[in-house]
This record gives sequence, structure tokens and C-alpha cells, in this order.
Amino acid sequence: MSDNQDADGRFPGSTWACHACVRGKCEVFGPPGTNQEGFHMNHGFGTGLLCATILASGIAAAPALAERILRADEAPIGELDPAKGTDYGDTVLAINLYDSLVYPAQGASGVQPHLATGWSIDGAVYTFNLRDDVTFNSGNPLTSADVVYSFERLMAIGQGHSGLFEGVVDSVEAQGDHAVVFTLTEPFAPFLASLVRLSIVDSATVMANEADGDWASVWMSQNSAGSGPYVVVSHDPQTETVMAYEPDYFLEPAENYPERVRYRYGLDAPAVRALMARGGHDISSQWLPPEVLAALAESGASLVTEAGLTGEYFKLNTRRAPLDDVHCRRALAYAFDYGTLLQLTRITPETTQGRPMSGALPEGLLGFDPERPYFERNMALAQEEQALCAHDVADYPLEVAWIAETPARERGALMMQAIYSQLGYKVAIVRTPWVLLTERVTNPETAPHVVEIAISAVSPDTDSLLFNMYHSSMPHTWMSSSYYVNPELDALLDEGRMETDPAARQELYAQANAILAEEVPDIYGYELLSTFAVREGVTFHNLADPARTYPVSGFNLRFMDISVPATE
Amino acid sequence: MPPPETAFTGNDRPVVTILSRLLRRLVSTLLVLFGVSLLIFLIARVIPGDPARIALGPRASEEQVEAMRETLHLNEPIIVQYAFFLGDLLRADLGISLYSNRPVMTDIAEYLPATLELVFLAGFLMVSLGLPLGALSARYRDRWPDDLIRLLTLLSVSAPSFVWAVGMVLAFSFAIPLFPIAGRISETIDIQVVTGFLLVDTIVAGRPDAFVSALHHVILPAFALSLSGIGQAARLTRTNMIATYEQPHVEMARAYGFSERDISRRYAFKPSLIPSLTVIGLDFAALLGNAFLVEVIFAWPGISRYGVGVILQKDLNAIVGTVLIISATFLIANIVVDLLVSVINPRIRLSEHGK
Repeated sequence: MSDNQDADGRFPGSTWACHACVRGKCEVFGPPGTNQEGFHMNHGFGTGLLCATILASGIAAAPALAERILRADEAPIGELDPAKGTDYGDTVLAINLYDSLVYPAQGASGVQPHLATGWSIDGAVYTFNLRDDVTFNSGNPLTSADVVYSFERLMAIGQGHSGLFEGVVDSVEAQGDHAVVFTLTEPFAPFLASLVRLSIVDSATVMANEADGDWASVWMSQNSAGSGPYVVVSHDPQTETVMAYEPDYFLEPAENYPERVRYRYGLDAPAVRALMARGGHDISSQWLPPEVLAALAESGASLVTEAGLTGEYFKLNTRRAPLDDVHCRRALAYAFDYGTLLQLTRITPETTQGRPMSGALPEGLLGFDPERPYFERNMALAQEEQALCAHDVADYPLEVAWIAETPARERGALMMQAIYSQLGYKVAIVRTPWVLLTERVTNPETAPHVVEIAISAVSPDTDSLLFNMYHSSMPHTWMSSSYYVNPELDALLDEGRMETDPAARQELYAQANAILAEEVPDIYGYELLSTFAVREGVTFHNLADPARTYPVSGFNLRFMDISVPATE
Repeated sequence: MPPPETAFTGNDRPVVTILSRLLRRLVSTLLVLFGVSLLIFLIARVIPGDPARIALGPRASEEQVEAMRETLHLNEPIIVQYAFFLGDLLRADLGISLYSNRPVMTDIAEYLPATLELVFLAGFLMVSLGLPLGALSARYRDRWPDDLIRLLTLLSVSAPSFVWAVGMVLAFSFAIPLFPIAGRISETIDIQVVTGFLLVDTIVAGRPDAFVSALHHVILPAFALSLSGIGQAARLTRTNMIATYEQPHVEMARAYGFSERDISRRYAFKPSLIPSLTVIGLDFAALLGNAFLVEVIFAWPGISRYGVGVILQKDLNAIVGTVLIISATFLIANIVVDLLVSVINPRIRLSEHGK
């Protein structure tokens, strides 16, 4: 991958010349009409080498075909196989290369039809009717047999989002070519939303590329076999995935949709900044530091944000003193300086990477209560709660860990150190590499007191967030690293899975959210808004119009919904 | 008294001596690689974190994590795990990378040439610029060219390569857009990859435009990577040449009326090469490790960047594979340097033969 004009070092319209003078004999390299201004050197090797490199810019300056290209990036690596991917970039690849039965509802919670035109629910039996006009990029028609195969493949590989269906689905059967029946082990309300993560693969193509019963696992990490709006042209997991638009796609693209997409990996911030300044890049990743985003905004890029059901949580270890006492936890929560933390996320006066939270739930999930007040700092209440705490906090140095790979989080840890010393805590800040953190959180007795971490819902259902974070049956991972045990909360979360009436579920999750706000297993720092720098001329329709925005992180980067100018 | 017989024999059969030296080094290299494989295998497993859980994520059930641990043989005793590893290694199978979800051998085959291309060019720049600069500096000792070269080389060795890389991107890609910012070749050029060395593949394909584009992309990262090596080579060559200039044979050459240019080339430069070459050889091998940050800055899809990525993800197969390959490259570079030195300096051949 590289840049053009720009990125490849092409300088359209420039006039240049390279004079090579060896032993008094001079030659001029350059395009016809080159003037005599340029580089002039007197040594053979140096001349040759430098001229060759300078010439490259000229040779590469040959006019390219006008094509609408979109160049975006994500860090650090991309997984093509929808049965393995879990990260943001993997989601973007999956939604552009594959389709699912349902999609997150635009501008609302829940799901909307996609490959499925409709469905019926009879207790634990879900019957989906499929569109009959969808073909895979291979030309094969998409049928219910492909849905069955895709599900079996996902579960057999046992990676990616298979955990959403583990123990939930009893059987999947095709009924004719365009109906499929999922029979669950018991009623499970989040099932429908989980299906946004079941990408349908072309079973014939995949089976043709299987080797030793591997479900074409290696092949699928290098190629696509979907029905999505784009098809893979080339893929290098450390460099970029090049995708081309599939003209026979069953949905209408936006005007001036990108015909070709270069989705790049592992670009660091200076490279993205330089590329965008030279017109060689269109959409940055969300991982740029705020100062780089601000610099890009100053140089003409627009900043757009995506609220992807992601919270920035300060997980409190409820198994280690003094945080096993709810009063100590409340004291920390009341003393926490939410305003300053939000100020740290501000990029420009108009754009911020965070918005306040009023509980454990981000906006847009069932159970979110818009009437709940946002958390605010209140030192008087903090001191009251501290007085009720059974522990003498001076006896327990508070270990605050921040993830070494995300240096911006050190600011939050330093802020906590400054604030909590006012309550008598001795705060030890520990820079912890991610791999080490994953090990430490498996043991509540030795895990840090506080860990700052961003956690997203993987489906537009509250269960995909709350259950993994707070149900006492979950294994000890970084998602559940507050180790909170509350039978009342467990019962609400269990009931939320069984209840199929949305209004009743809203009430159940609102109660759960209230308990979590009261019991403070975490400090709810802010709701994360992923912020992208977008080059002038590129329109991000899904994020420009709230009614078109998909609530789940990554789904708004469906490239055919973006308008781009033609690239000369 | 006649000289020892061995001296005559060794001098008469230098090729045999070099081959026998090469064979011994290859055997010792294999032993070292075996030791490295064992060491890195153990170290990779001591790093905290469950690779299966890291790969599958927090939403995976315990059963899924356990299944992956079984697949990776992580529940076996470590000696059994190592036996599995050696068995696979003999079949040239390093397993699947949890980082890229591809065979580790595929990743290495794809990324190693990119790094080697960068490192070879950086090594070439070290030799082709560092040695002449050192010779020039020694020849004009304590005059302005010497002062200028010493100043420049001091600057080049006083900052690590990634600092130069950032500076060069800002200067020559951002402020003065002479060079590309990222990648190995223009995205408008499609080239059939044969060796993975794009400078070679473009020639094989008969595409001068692609060759120039590949060179255009590699020159800045290679220069950034080589800068401190150039400085070190120049300073070392200067020091050695100054010492050589004070040798009696140089004085004698002057007394015979040889020109300074001839003395510099024939009598001062060659004897001064040996220590420089040894250090350059080590520097060259070290470039593989130093390449990481340069690869990050220039988005260069090389093995160093891949290596750091797999360590951060605790991708056991890929960690062991990458370290083995880098170690092998390091050892091969040392062998080549050893051979070169013994070619340049017959005394080393003779002493080896004497042993």
C-alpha cells in the first residue's frame, strides 16, 4: 500500500528534471518539455540512485483511470473470516463482504430485516423467510442451506462470535430454499439481535476450498465467499484489504459510492496525518490521539463520531478490600471527576470523544433511562460514604492499573491518584501490558483494584453487554473484572433473557441499571464516541443523519453508504 | 629454520580451509538454533496470559477456551509440547498464527523478504557510504572535510533510527513531498510476487516503472535505518585508518613516493577494513531488530513489525517461528562476515588451519 499524489509520491502537474553529470557528460532525465531547473549532481552513484528515486515520482505520475476510491484504516490487523473476527476492523470487513439475516435497526434499538424478509417466533422456535433475489459474489444463489452451513461452520470453528450462540441453539434446519428454522434450547430473547453477527457464507465455495475438514479455515482468512456489497481483490492481514464493489448487490448504494476500497492496517498517527494532508487517505481510524485529530480538523478534515454502544468503565474489584465495601466504592464514584475526564476527551469545541453516562448502559440499549441524572462529582457525599466504609483506607494501597498500549488512559489514572488522595487513599498507578492484564484479572484476589477499559455491546441487545460484565456465572475476564455478585441482579439478567416482550425487558434492564448505579461495581466514566477524521469531499451518510445511524459499533462503515469523489 | 609446514599448506589450499571453516560454523549454527528454539519456547510460555483466552476474547465460554487449549496442546507437560513443536518443525510446519489466523510459515514467507529487502539496502548504504566517508575523513584528518564528516557522523549515531525515521517522514514526505509516506510500491502498480523482494520481482517482471517505484518507496526507510550504522562505520574506519597511517609500511610507501591517493587506497584502507567489516556485520544483523519502529513508521509490512504484534498477542507459534527466523538470519550474517574477513585477512585462515 502506499499513498498517491500524494501518497505514491506522484506530483500531478509538476515539472521536474534530473541532470546526471558523470565525468563532465551531462544528461537530463524528465518528461517532454522539461526545463533546465532541477537537481544537479556530480557523482555517478549518488546521481543514479537519487535520480532513480526522483524519477519514480514522475513515472508514477502517469494519469490513472478516474475511479472512486475510498481509503480508510484500522489498527492493527484484519481478519477476513467472519467465523473468527471479533474486533472493530473485523466487523467492518464482515458487513462489507457478507450479509446477515438481520441488521441493527437504523436510528433505533433492536433489529431490522436484511436477508430475512420477516420472521415468526413461537416460543423457542424462530422461522425466518429469506429474500429470493440474493446471489453470492460467485454467482451462486443464497439459500437456506447456506444459512444452516454458516451456522454449523461458526460453531464448529468455535471462535469469533460463536459464544453468542453457545448452548443457545439446539438445531438449525432449512425449510425449502428460502426458509430456515432455528430451534433454541429454551426461549432466549437476545437471540434475534445476536443474528447480526451470523455472516452467511457461500457453502459451495467454502466446501470446495476445505482441506482436511478445516471448514476452509485457512482459505477463508485470505478470501471472501459472501454476498456482500464488496468482494476481496487482495488481502494482507498486516497491510491492507482491497475490495471492489459488486454491481449486482441487492441493495442500492449511495450516490458516488466507492467502487474500490483500500482498508489499511497498522498505519501510525504521523503517517495518517501526512497521508490525509496529501490527499492520500480518506477516513482515519478511531484510534488517533486527540491532538492529531484536532490537527487534521484544523487542516480541513471534518470530524464525525459514532456512538457504538461502548462505555469507558473503571472496573472496581469488589473482591478486594477496601472495595468489597459498597460505601468505599460509592465514595470513589462520588469523588470521581467526570467533568474533567470528559474535558480530556474533547478534541475541538464542537467535537468530543465522550458523553456522560447515567448508569452502566450506553444510550440506545434497552433499559437506558433518559430521565436518570448523569453522574457528577460530589465531594460532600463522597466523604459521607467514606465515613460509612468499614475499612480504614490508609491500610489498603489502591492499585490503579492502566493498559500500557493505550497511553491516553494514564491521564485517568493520574486524575484518580490526585482525587482519591483527598479521601485518604494511597494510590499506586501501575502501567500494565495488555497480555499481563488478561492474566491478572483471572484471579480476583490479586487483580488490580481499578482497571480502566472500554467495553462494547456486540449486538443491539442489552444482554450482550450486561450479562458478560455482571452475571456471576461468567468466567473471570477483563469484561467481568469487577467480580460483582448479586443474586437480585443475576435474576433480572436471567429473566431478561427469557422475556420476549420488549416493554417488559425495558423494565427489567432499567431495574438492573438502577442496581448497578447504586451498587457501583464500576465507575461509569463516559460513553465512548469513536471519532474519525474524514477528508473533504467524503460524505459519511450513516453518521450524518441520526435516523440512518446503526447503533452497533462498526456497522456504519458499510462502504456503499459513503460518497466519495472520483480519484484522478 | 624452515617455517611450519602448516603455514605453507594452508596458504596453498585456501578454499579447503574456508570450506572446512564454513562446515564447522554451520554445525555450530544448528546447535545454537536448537538452543534458541528451546529457550524461546520456554520464554514464550512463561509470559503471563492465556493465549487461548486472548485469542477467543472475553465472551468465549470456558468450553471453547478449553477446546483451543487442547488444540494448541497447552494442557500437556511442557516437554511434550516441545516434542510436538519439534515434530512439526521437522515437517516445516510452525503451526497456525492466532494473530493472523494463517500458517506461521505463510506469514514468515510473506513478511521476511520485505524486511530483508529493507535491511539489505540499509546494509548496502552502510558500506557504500560509511566506509568511503571514514576513508575521506582519515585522509583529510583535522581539516574541514574531516571536521564536517565527524560532526555529521556524530549526529547520526547520537539518535536511534526511529527518530531519524520520524524526522525524515516529516521533512521529505510531509513538508517537502519528495518521497512516499508508506508502503512498498505504488498502489496503482500490480506486480507478480515471485521472491518477495520487490526490487528483484520488478526486474524479473521486466517492469522498470515498478522497479523505480519500489526503489522510491524503500530508499527513505532504508536510509533512516542505516544512518546510525553509516556513522558508526565511518567513525570506525577513520580511527583504524589513522592508526594504519602511522604504521611503518605507510611511511615506507611515502618514502618511495607513492601518491596519497594510492597510499590511502592500497596501504591504509584495506588493512583498516577488517574491524570495520566485523562491526558492520554485527550492525547488519542488529538492523533486523532495529527495523521494528522504522517498519511501523513507514507502514512497512515486515517481519519485525509482525514479530512485535505476535508478542503483544501472545501468539506462541508465531513468536517461536519469528524468533527462530531472525536468529537464523543473525547467525548467517555472522558466518558471512567471518568468511569475508578470512578472505580479506589470510592470517585468520592460516591461524584456523594451524589449529
